[in-house]
Amino acid sequence: MASKTASKDIITLRGSTAIVSEFFGYAANSILYNRGVYPEESFGRVKKYGLPLLLSQDEGVKTFIANLNTQLSEWLEAGKLQRIVLVIMSKATNEVLERWNFSIETDSEVVEKGVSREKSDKEIMREIQAIMRQIASSITYLPCLDEPCIFDVLAYTDADVAVPFTWTESDPKLIANPQMVKLHSFDTKIHKVDTLVSYKNDEWDEQ
Amino acid sequence: MIVRTPLPKKRRPEATGNSDSPNSDGRFVIFEDLPEPEPSHQHSDQMLCTYQCRQLVKADFLDALGSAEKKSQDYQSKLEAMDSDLRKSEAERMKFRDQLLYAEQEVAAAKGREQALQDQLLKEVSESQERLRKQIHIHSELEVKFRKEMELRKKAESLLSSAEEKANLLEGKLSHVSESIEREKVRLQKELTQLKQESKLSMERISADLQRMECKASNSEKEAAMLKEQLENLQTKLNECLHEKNEVEKKLSTLTHQEFPSDDNILVKHLREELRNYESEVREARKWKASHEDIELLREKLLEEKGCRERAESEVLKLSEAQINGKKLEDELSSWKSIIKDIPGVTSAADIPLKFEALQKEVLEGMMKMGEVTARLKQVEVALDVAENTRQNVETEFALTNEKMELLKLELKRTELLLSSTTEERDRLKIVVDQLKQQKTVEAGGAMTDGTVKELEASLAMKEDLIKQLESSIQEQKDVNTRQHNEIKLLNERLSNESRRIKSLEREDDRLRSEIAILESKLGHGDFSSASTKVLRMVNSLAVDSEAKQTIEALQNELQKTKDKLQAIEELKKQSGDAGTLVDSYISGKVVQLKEQIATLEKREERYKAVFADRISVFRRACCELFGYKIVMDDHQRSDGIPVTRFTLQSIYAQSDDEKLQFEYESGNTKILGNNYTQQPDISHQVEIFIRKLNSIPAFTANLTVESFNKRTLS
Repeated sequence: MASKTASKDIITLRGSTAIVSEFFGYAANSILYNRGVYPEESFGRVKKYGLPLLLSQDEGVKTFIANLNTQLSEWLEAGKLQRIVLVIMSKATNEVLERWNFSIETDSEVVEKGVSREKSDKEIMREIQAIMRQIASSITYLPCLDEPCIFDVLAYTDADVAVPFTWTESDPKLIANPQMVKLHSFDTKIHKVDTLVSYKNDEWDEQ
Repeated sequence: MIVRTPLPKKRRPEATGNSDSPNSDGRFVIFEDLPEPEPSHQHSDQMLCTYQCRQLVKADFLDALGSAEKKSQDYQSKLEAMDSDLRKSEAERMKFRDQLLYAEQEVAAAKGREQALQDQLLKEVSESQERLRKQIHIHSELEVKFRKEMELRKKAESLLSSAEEKANLLEGKLSHVSESIEREKVRLQKELTQLKQESKLSMERISADLQRMECKASNSEKEAAMLKEQLENLQTKLNECLHEKNEVEKKLSTLTHQEFPSDDNILVKHLREELRNYESEVREARKWKASHEDIELLREKLLEEKGCRERAESEVLKLSEAQINGKKLEDELSSWKSIIKDIPGVTSAADIPLKFEALQKEVLEGMMKMGEVTARLKQVEVALDVAENTRQNVETEFALTNEKMELLKLELKRTELLLSSTTEERDRLKIVVDQLKQQKTVEAGGAMTDGTVKELEASLAMKEDLIKQLESSIQEQKDVNTRQHNEIKLLNERLSNESRRIKSLEREDDRLRSEIAILESKLGHGDFSSASTKVLRMVNSLAVDSEAKQTIEALQNELQKTKDKLQAIEELKKQSGDAGTLVDSYISGKVVQLKEQIATLEKREERYKAVFADRISVFRRACCELFGYKIVMDDHQRSDGIPVTRFTLQSIYAQSDDEKLQFEYESGNTKILGNNYTQQPDISHQVEIFIRKLNSIPAFTANLTVESFNKRTLS
């Protein structure tokens, strides 16, 4: 959770980082559950952002997301992270079917000078809640994933970032001629996160 | 209104009395002595002559009175009608005058308007003409510029095309040269390999010759040794012979000294002859031996000479080839030189790349120039379009103004016609008025009418003043109107400017929107600039097979160990009773934990297996599609216990299920196994050629694939 100073509506870089990385963890879990990447029974129910959310109980996924969040927090705090992309691919063919795009704009003044900003926790939570709702409702328009799928996370960082030991450079795993749906965004006044999902064109729709 | 003084009624009887016109003659004819009209009472006096007369007169008078009264009534009614007519005519006159004045006013207004419109039109026409002239001038200038630009463009294009041609030519030459160089290289390499082969061959030949020579030398040495031995034998024989001869001579001398000297002499002579013969034989033998050695030497020399000749022949052949090569190289050199001569500004081969660079630069410059020229051309085209539009606008304006002019002319004509008609009417009315005036003067005398006319004229003058005032006020109103019109025009212009600005802003807005949409789509698509952004992913996302397998194995081993330990502890427990309970609980907890771990790991293993099965099936299918064989792999153990992997290949073009190839794979070696199919004569022949002789299984399988494909398709 965001670390707060004496005043209630003051938000610091560290607090904002914590909010964003935590949001990404919950968002990833929600996507994995809603898109059926992992079986329903491997998820446990928790309450967060005023919503019942589902978290994966799979150790592999848990450790993966925990490791990911640690690294993302580091980059977020340094203001080096531009975008996080959760890619859902076909298990059999490795074809990219969906890209959940979380674009991050960081207030450079905060990173450089260490100043804080003012925004209430409640408002941020409300914005995040809207995104979570949209993620949950995305199954209504996204094409059905009727084959076993896997996921991967791509981090778009500044070019001068040193590649950590457990990370490697990757191709952007793009979808040719995708459909795009822009979701809500949230702003901590330090990090602005825009959410967008692009997915493979359903051939049946075009015909 | 003109005030008209009505005629007094009391004058009527006078009028009637006065109106003793020649028309009323003979009414009182009985008084012939009275030529002058008499007052009425005098009449009555005169009529009192007699009763009868009186009665008669009375009756006559009454009749005459009645008729006179009737006449007077008639005249009165006529007068009244005339009066009303006069009033009507007066009213009409007034109306016509009003109409006339109005018409005059209108005419004046129309004239003013016409004048203003004409002025305006003239101004507009002159302005439009000026604008047209300007536009034509601009148009001509633009045309000239356009022509210039076109010429420039043409020049640039021709330059570009020539540069491109040059570049193409040079590239062609370059490619030609590079090809020739490649060919030369290949040829030289071939020559080199040939020469190497030849040198090897010659080396081998020379070494064989050497060996042969060595053999020959050893043989000749042996022969020489043999001959030496023979020589020595012969020498020993000779020595013996000499010795014998000496002995014989001694004996002979002794014998000659002792007995039969003559016979002995003869014998000696014979013996000497024999001896001489022997000596000559020996000499001949020596000669033979020397000649034999000479022959050997000559043979060796001959062989050497032969070798030399062969070498010389080969050298001659090489020389000829080298000469051909030299000629070719000279030709190429000359062609190169000629090419270099052809290229302007190039003196040596080192300049060519520089020239190339320069030409490429020229080409780039030309392209850039062309781009600039096209841009300018487009600008000019746009300007031309604008000019064209303005010209068209001006033309339309001109046409509009012309139309307006025509309309105004028509209006003018109409007003003129109206004017003429009104003047005609006015004249007619004047005539009528004059007539009426004349009538009036005739009827009532001119004094009264003169006053009224004067009054009328005064009122007319007043009205004219009024009209003038009204005209001036109309003029003012017109000025105000024109000012307002101008203001409206200005406002309209501003409005049109604003609307244009709004349109341009809308266009910009659309453009920006489309740009935003493009950028958003790019962003959504996941595009990024590699200069500022890096895309990273975690190395071990969720599954790295080997590591997980290793951990599973390690855990399984640990489990085994713990199971063993458990067994041991249980045994101990049995032995020691309660002592093991504590340990038991600890271990059971541990076991539960480990079991959980095992369960998760087994699940994971299952998943890996599933993934592997999927992947391997994809791989197999791909192999089958790519190489044309279904491959089945199974492990066997030979009779001696060594594990081997057997591969059974079945072509996708196989015509029966028996068409299978079996291979055994063992530690890097692959062997074909015999079966009914491979024992067929044509297959076994192929196996013999490709596998046994050429040692290539891929060639065999590929050949077989092609053959079965042909069979399948041809059949």
